[in-house]
Amino acid sequence: MSKLDPRIHEVLDGDLPPERLPPELRAVVLRLERAAGLLRAGLAPASVAGRVLAALHRPEPSRGRRVLQWLTERHVITIAMRPVWSLALAAVLAAVVLVPDHGSAPLLGAQEGIARFVGHFPGARSVDVVGPFTDWHTGVVPLRDDDNDGVWSAVVVLPAGTHEYMFVVDGERWVVDPLAGRYVSDGFGRQNALLIVRPVGR
Amino acid sequence: MSGFADAPDADVIARILAGDGDAFGILVRRHEAGLLRFATRMLGSPDAAADAVAEALIRAYRHLASLDDPTRFRTWLYRIVANRCKSHLGRRSAQRVSLEEAAPVPDPHDGEAELERAEQLGLVERALRTLSPEKREAFLLKHVEGLSYEEMAALTGERIPTLKMRVHRAREALLEALKEHR
Amino acid sequence: MRRVALFLLAIVAPLGAQSGRGSVRARLTGRVPEVAIAVVDSVVRAAEAERLPTEPLVQKALEGAAKHAAPGRIVQAVGAQAEQLRQARTLLERGGGNPPTAIEITSVAAAMVRGLPPPLAGRIVTALADEPPGPALHAVADLEGHGFAEDAAVDLIVAAARAGLRGLRLLDVATAAVHELQRGATHPAALATVRRALPDVPWPPKPSPAEVNRARRPRPGV
Repeated sequence: MSKLDPRIHEVLDGDLPPERLPPELRAVVLRLERAAGLLRAGLAPASVAGRVLAALHRPEPSRGRRVLQWLTERHVITIAMRPVWSLALAAVLAAVVLVPDHGSAPLLGAQEGIARFVGHFPGARSVDVVGPFTDWHTGVVPLRDDDNDGVWSAVVVLPAGTHEYMFVVDGERWVVDPLAGRYVSDGFGRQNALLIVRPVGR
Repeated sequence: MSGFADAPDADVIARILAGDGDAFGILVRRHEAGLLRFATRMLGSPDAAADAVAEALIRAYRHLASLDDPTRFRTWLYRIVANRCKSHLGRRSAQRVSLEEAAPVPDPHDGEAELERAEQLGLVERALRTLSPEKREAFLLKHVEGLSYEEMAALTGERIPTLKMRVHRAREALLEALKEHR
Repeated sequence: MRRVALFLLAIVAPLGAQSGRGSVRARLTGRVPEVAIAVVDSVVRAAEAERLPTEPLVQKALEGAAKHAAPGRIVQAVGAQAEQLRQARTLLERGGGNPPTAIEITSVAAAMVRGLPPPLAGRIVTALADEPPGPALHAVADLEGHGFAEDAAVDLIVAAARAGLRGLRLLDVATAAVHELQRGATHPAALATVRRALPDVPWPPKPSPAEVNRARRPRPGV
């Protein structure tokens, strides 16, 4: 495939005014624009409004029918994603949480692991960790600071897998764990820390 | 309802989500021409395109509440249609979809200019068929549907430099194919 | 046929488990604003009909309520979560193999929300064949989060998989590369060192017996 003069792309991308092109290149631009124009215009008018609106007034297909459809269709989809970036603090990955157990752990099920939550909250009266594992309630997993040095911690048995979480300080201040290293958008304009718990023996 | 037909997409969507399902008809009529054109050019068949667009619109209606930003409804619709087209092309190899189906048959009563136009359109359609689905999609979105690279990025999930490169390659491939089909 | 049977098992089992947890409405009532409950309930039902995991949707609604989000925002976030799960499942299905479990779908959805572009995610799914790609996707996102170029990050994780590392061990590959950075290596040097060592990357530390004894299970609602 022969490469086009970059100026042609610049004009077509709106980065360069067409009058800056020499005539022979302008002819190429016109050729592409004409091809696009033909594709834009040369179709018989059609409408799907009737069938779409009629379908919306019918009940949705039964679960059985959806299963059948799923089994007979191939699913190809393009996925758009939001870039959610927050630079992780360097010392992190090992500092918090991912503590597997390779040995015997009578307390733990095969699909459970241990999560250690630590945060530095000097002067706090209470610190809770909340997430799906607490149904986002405070008071379920309180952190403790037994020696009053401002470092609060809790060790928790959780199902293996990914868990979003936040700290709640003094029952009202929501704080993202700065040491988590992994974050996801919470859908409410902020970020949750993300924790990956390993199952016993992994 | 008077004047509502001209309301921005986001206002119509708010109305639908508030329970006025019939208002979806406004959005269907507003966007179907562009979607049908895009799908027809992607698939090369007006019938397959109508199926893809109808399925996409029904899907859009059922998932309207999941739309993050209602002002980007049009881009979202194109995305769903593009996905349906890719599913369709995945099921049937693109080569087996006849682009000739889409070419209007010249009527002997048409003037000479019209016949020439139909012939040229046939050439362009055959050239388009030689592009990969990704390049075809990129060319159509940029040059036929007039989307910006930002909108294309939101639609495809690709980054803008990747899309620019793809559009550039598509232009080159299309010109090359036009030379061969001449 | 085996695929069909496995598939049916995969959908029937979670549905059974879900029905035992009481209705969604009951869990949301008193916490989520009344006006949002009906919509969330319908999104959850639609997800159930599509065989998507529904617990993350209920949790998103509870999270929104706990964070005092407006009802519209809660509904929007639950809808967006459903779409993410849907996309994650589609990606998993592209990899072939057994129908994805709820845990796999949730993990992949979380990895994708961390910002992996679809072509990269697709490359990983293809490279790992029958392996659930969640940990590999998170490993690549971990590397990207520490400034590694995404292509190089994918190359390393794919190389680790080819060297026989699987599942959560792929996270250790990312951790090892980050540790090299912390020791002062440049990004390319860190990648080269870890790649040479494959498949030998350090395991994370074990929890001490005292820590295991201290650990408690959260009991929501108690």
